[in-house]
Amino acid sequence: MGVPFEALIPYAIMLGMFGLTGAGLSKIRHMQNGGKRARHSIDQWDRQMMDRDRRLTGYLRGQTDEVAAPPGFELNNPWRTEKRIY
Amino acid sequence: MSTRQPRFNQQVLLDTTPLPDSVPKVTEIGASSAPLLSASFFIGARCGPYNDDYMKCKEDAHGRGEIDCMKEGRKVTRCAASVLDDINKNCLEEFRKHWQCLENNNQQLWHCRRPEQLLNKCVFDKLGLEKKIPGAPENETPVHLRKRQIFSHNFSSIREDEPQT
Repeated sequence: MGVPFEALIPYAIMLGMFGLTGAGLSKIRHMQNGGKRARHSIDQWDRQMMDRDRRLTGYLRGQTDEVAAPPGFELNNPWRTEKRIY
Repeated sequence: MSTRQPRFNQQVLLDTTPLPDSVPKVTEIGASSAPLLSASFFIGARCGPYNDDYMKCKEDAHGRGEIDCMKEGRKVTRCAASVLDDINKNCLEEFRKHWQCLENNNQQLWHCRRPEQLLNKCVFDKLGLEKKIPGAPENETPVHLRKRQIFSHNFSSIREDEPQT
């Protein structure tokens, strides 16, 4: 007796659909992160360093390995202001 | 109250007045997070005394450290800039491979041991800086020299019998 492949077709469809959505989401995250894998488990230190990267290069995941910062870098760290709560 | 993180901030304020001329000017380091992480142990190997001075100064200043410890801070910046400059001049290819691997792997050092070992060898040969993990127990092999990396995607570091690419 051969393998009853008609019975396994629904499993193949389910696997295919999950795989397709997973691959699509992974591709979207890849594109959102500038061609790199997404970062996970980011803590406050990592957030601060990623903010510094954005100030240095303009992109959240941009990286440079220059020795000297571009000229406006010392002054472009913003004060984050909130409205007063009376 | 000024030490809490801002919540719901809608506007930013950019203060573009530069520092007064009485403060000597030092260019800030232009390396972003992944190259800095990659070079951090070499910066520690060369700049250990300056960094310890700065940390002690900030601890003793009880809150005024940003203003009082600028001299030590300038020394720290200049020393780290010199290390980065030397690495860029001598070992640029291995350095770039290592930090690009780190950037692809959530900046976790244990996934990227193979490029790291190539970089360590190059920096040790050309600059004489060795990576040491401070506070590691003496009687075990340090984590970056072990053969098997338990949590990494790649499962092992360089083995000596493997031909190096």
